[in-house]
Amino acid sequence: MKIAIMDGSPKNKDSASGLIAAALQAELTPAADCAVCHAASHDRDEIMAALASCDALVFVFPLYVDGIPSHLLRLLDEIQNDVATVAPGAAVYCAVNNGFYEAHQNGVAMELMKNFCVRSGLRWGQGLGVGAGGMVQAAPIGRGPLANLGRALSAFAENIRNGVSADNSFVEPNFPKFLYNMIAHMSWRVQARGNGLKIGRLWRFKISEVDEWVQSGKSSDINKGGK
Amino acid sequence: MGRTLILHDLRQSDAEQFLPRDSVKYSLFAAAPPVRHCAGCFLCWVKTPGRCVIPDRGADFAAIMTKHDELIFLSRLVFGGLSPDIKAVLDRSIGFVLPFFRKLNGETHHVRRYDKSPAFRYIFYGVDITDKEKETAKKLAAANALNFGSERFSVSFFSSIPESAETLL
Ligand SMILES: Cc1cc2nc3c(=O)[nH]c(=O)nc-3n(C[C@H](O)[C@H](O)[C@H](O)COP(=O)(O)O)c2cc1C
Repeated sequence: MKIAIMDGSPKNKDSASGLIAAALQAELTPAADCAVCHAASHDRDEIMAALASCDALVFVFPLYVDGIPSHLLRLLDEIQNDVATVAPGAAVYCAVNNGFYEAHQNGVAMELMKNFCVRSGLRWGQGLGVGAGGMVQAAPIGRGPLANLGRALSAFAENIRNGVSADNSFVEPNFPKFLYNMIAHMSWRVQARGNGLKIGRLWRFKISEVDEWVQSGKSSDINKGGK
Repeated sequence: MGRTLILHDLRQSDAEQFLPRDSVKYSLFAAAPPVRHCAGCFLCWVKTPGRCVIPDRGADFAAIMTKHDELIFLSRLVFGGLSPDIKAVLDRSIGFVLPFFRKLNGETHHVRRYDKSPAFRYIFYGVDITDKEKETAKKLAAANALNFGSERFSVSFFSSIPESAETLL
């Protein structure tokens, strides 16, 4: 059995998608020959080779503006006519993680993936929505606040191994929403301060101030090292 | 600058032929040739608030949005959503809102950066659009509007570029 996992985060390291992809790969190996491919850095030939004669294609990506990140969307758009020839009969699975706590906000992206399946003539397997993606780095998957995620990934991996289709599933951390939100807010402030931003005026603009801000070059001047 | 901003994915020749030339009413932003894709760095939130740090014309879009009462996405329908070219611009424009969360309809969404957001109007074109794809597109539009703090949105579908552009005339 051959399985390709496509990591659709544009980040090369420290991404939630990368961790989820690695955990899935560990679950699926050695029962299957399972490789992880990074959509943003592998070229089209490498990607097509990775997809070739797979039984399952697993797309693991972050939710971007309620949908699929543009670089991954471009890949899907470009391969929709050929992918079924390259990997006939393959089932498509996806694990989508998002920044907000609620996992169900990944539902639209899963529908987009399902529509991709219909267009490309592949079989739809299942979608897994992972809420509070900012927490995936917080602990080893399967432990503490990520116990739920560990269980959800095991069940998801089993469906992939068996090639079965199932209802979408959604998972949130063993951690309260209000605390997750509080920590997220704190972290935005800390990061902004670290970049030398004054909290307050810079966060909220009147539209009339935008021109001044953009034209002053302050908004785009990263090379002067704002820190 | 017009009051309505049209973000479209038409080739230049099609844009010239089909899009309105009334520059009092409309501003145009061409999503093709594509801008670079978002790198997921969040510096538009924590370093250069409101502006993407990748230095190409995609960095301007969020600021341009603030100048308009209405934003029209004139997009090829891809899997029930925006086309990759349009999506590349939109992913680069999340600095339009703040990173902070607020609760809307019982869900988490972003706090606005500006006093107001344009109304969102989705005009999709494509051949053999399925009912499922239409359903997805409507859900996507509703979710986008909530996250960008837009109070009004609408979605329509057409089978060709000329037909979709005609609704603007
Ligand atoms: C351009 C962009 C758009 C995003 N849009 C959403 C969104 O619509 N809803 C959401 O909950 N999170 C959104 N996020 C947050 C990411 O989904 C979240 O940070 C995720 O954990 C990143 O995953 P990764 O580390 O695998 O890249 C967005 C992030 C970026 C950079």
